[in-house]
Amino acid sequence: MGNMIAILLQSNLSQPLQTRSLEDASIWQHMSEALHQSLYRVLSLLIAVLPGLLAFFVSVLVFALIGMALSSLLRRGLELIHFNDRLSRNRATDDWLPMTSPSAIVARASFWTCLLAGIIIGVAALDASFAATTPIPISMLPYLTHVVGAIFLLVVGSLIARFLARSVLIGAVNAQLQYARFLSLGVKWLVLVLTAAMVLDHLQIGGTIVELAFGILFGGIVLTLALAVGLGSRDLVSRTLESHSEHGADSGTKSQRVQNSTPEEFLRHF
Amino acid sequence: MTQLSDSEAVRNDPPTADEVAVVDPSLKPLEATLLVMLASMPLEQLKESLGHLKNSFPSTTFLVATPSDGALTPDLLHSVISIASPNSSWPLSGASFVRAWEIAEEKNVRAILILGPDSGPQISDGLCHLASVVLDLDTDLAMPCYDLPTHAGLVNSAILFPLTRTLFASGSRFPLAIDMGLSRRMAERLATIAKAKGGNLGDTLLWPVNEASVGGFTISESNVGRRILPHPRETDFNSVFAQVIGSLFADVESKAAFWQRPRRVPSPRHLRDDLQDTEGTSDTVRMIEAFRLANTNLQEIWSLVLSPNSLVGLKRLSTLAPNDFRMPESLWSRIVYDFLIAYKLRAINRGHLFGALIPIYLAWVAGHINVTLSGANAEHHIEAVAAAFEADKPYLVSRWRWPDRFNP
Repeated sequence: MGNMIAILLQSNLSQPLQTRSLEDASIWQHMSEALHQSLYRVLSLLIAVLPGLLAFFVSVLVFALIGMALSSLLRRGLELIHFNDRLSRNRATDDWLPMTSPSAIVARASFWTCLLAGIIIGVAALDASFAATTPIPISMLPYLTHVVGAIFLLVVGSLIARFLARSVLIGAVNAQLQYARFLSLGVKWLVLVLTAAMVLDHLQIGGTIVELAFGILFGGIVLTLALAVGLGSRDLVSRTLESHSEHGADSGTKSQRVQNSTPEEFLRHF
Repeated sequence: MTQLSDSEAVRNDPPTADEVAVVDPSLKPLEATLLVMLASMPLEQLKESLGHLKNSFPSTTFLVATPSDGALTPDLLHSVISIASPNSSWPLSGASFVRAWEIAEEKNVRAILILGPDSGPQISDGLCHLASVVLDLDTDLAMPCYDLPTHAGLVNSAILFPLTRTLFASGSRFPLAIDMGLSRRMAERLATIAKAKGGNLGDTLLWPVNEASVGGFTISESNVGRRILPHPRETDFNSVFAQVIGSLFADVESKAAFWQRPRRVPSPRHLRDDLQDTEGTSDTVRMIEAFRLANTNLQEIWSLVLSPNSLVGLKRLSTLAPNDFRMPESLWSRIVYDFLIAYKLRAINRGHLFGALIPIYLAWVAGHINVTLSGANAEHHIEAVAAAFEADKPYLVSRWRWPDRFNP
């Protein structure tokens, strides 16, 4: 009896186990097939892209070497014709020259231009190998140029913002405006917001939301500045208006005031 | 002076300035020993000036070159050369030196006397003496020393004079004077420098004292008495300040190899005590307030230029009461040197640099006025400032050579 029960139990248990093992085998088979297919696809993609990658690195290397040679040639050539001395004679550009010598700047610019050209050509080769191997057309180059353009915009915008902020700050301090720092900060953020909006627009991120947000922010900053300057300069404006109204009415009073303004006459800076 | 001969016809309608070159060659001015460059003035004043010059140089033949708005009368044609009006922002620019040299070369003169605006018509003996120094003593550059009111020429007293004296070992009190006597070779050098600088000659400022020191020319200084200095054409103080200080800093930068070598310090000037002239009051409180406002707002910019020690000094200065306000001479000299080094290193935009210096300069002016109002002689104070510049010269040389070295 006991043996019978045991046999019955074994037969009942072994049937689902066999079915489960069959199902497990099928899942593993599918998984391994999927993995194999995925691995195959990736490897074949890599093999297909490898020449493109190689072309990218070769292009960058070759153009970097060309850039170095061109930079060295330009540096020597410009030193021979005394380029730095000639440029330093021109006082108009004097304020804008950075710390390094102009010939070094030209040489560096030529090197980086060559390197950039190498990167663009390499990316184009990579782009072509991608397009040939994948069924979905992926075009990296246009977006990459957008990214480069956006980075350039960001750098230039930040520099302009800093320059304008300092100009406004120094000008306002020398004009003895109490809200000089506030004015400077306002101008700085105005330019930075404008730059950020341009960068996002260039990267095609955000769409109309960015435009709307930019409009609100820009308008808000301008309004705040206008209110701040307007309220801060209230006394100045009223004094100016008063002096204008008094100008025609009483010339005698004015002459008296001029006579009393000894501090300005008394002091001569030059 | 060249005299008119009887044979030279007197024309009823005098030629214009442009016609002088094409009319009868016998009417052209002859060669002379001295060339006097005068600023533009009406014809009557010009005649009066010629009379004064004739009295001052009885035995010297001279020519006068001046921009004449109207036509010259025949009696002036032999002694006056009409030149184009130099359209310059400063009374004496590179264009004036180039023109002076060209005429000197053409007329073979020995010396040149350049007189700036408002020098006449009664040209003082002191100004005429500048030419005598060049002619009689073989000096290359005769610079004037003006008796100005105490609170005039403050940029010169604060920066131009002490810096020039320290770096170029020149005792000239007014290195950017608008009157001077020049030998022919000195004029040639200045004209060459002006041409070499290129750009608009009318906007080119030259530093004759610096050039003379570098070139090894002899310099002398003469007291010319009181002189009304003309206002610069540009009315905005900030832009004139940037133009003048920028020009001096550029000149100092270009002559770094010269002034870094140790030189004998010029002997202290003989100071007169009777020059004190402190009538009137000045609005020092306004200048101090301007400095305090800058001290609050420009810390970020100043910290790019000034050493930590100078920043602490300025912070202390901003806490002083208006009556006790006085900038220590050593602090001022250190600040000017820091700005000079920042100019060389291009630490910040040069336009911003001069803008950031203005409030500190105003603080110096306020302190200087307080010193003079307390009864001290202004010239003594300026001499003390110059001495501080000289004492601190090793700091400038050290930082000029090794700017990254730590300087407290």
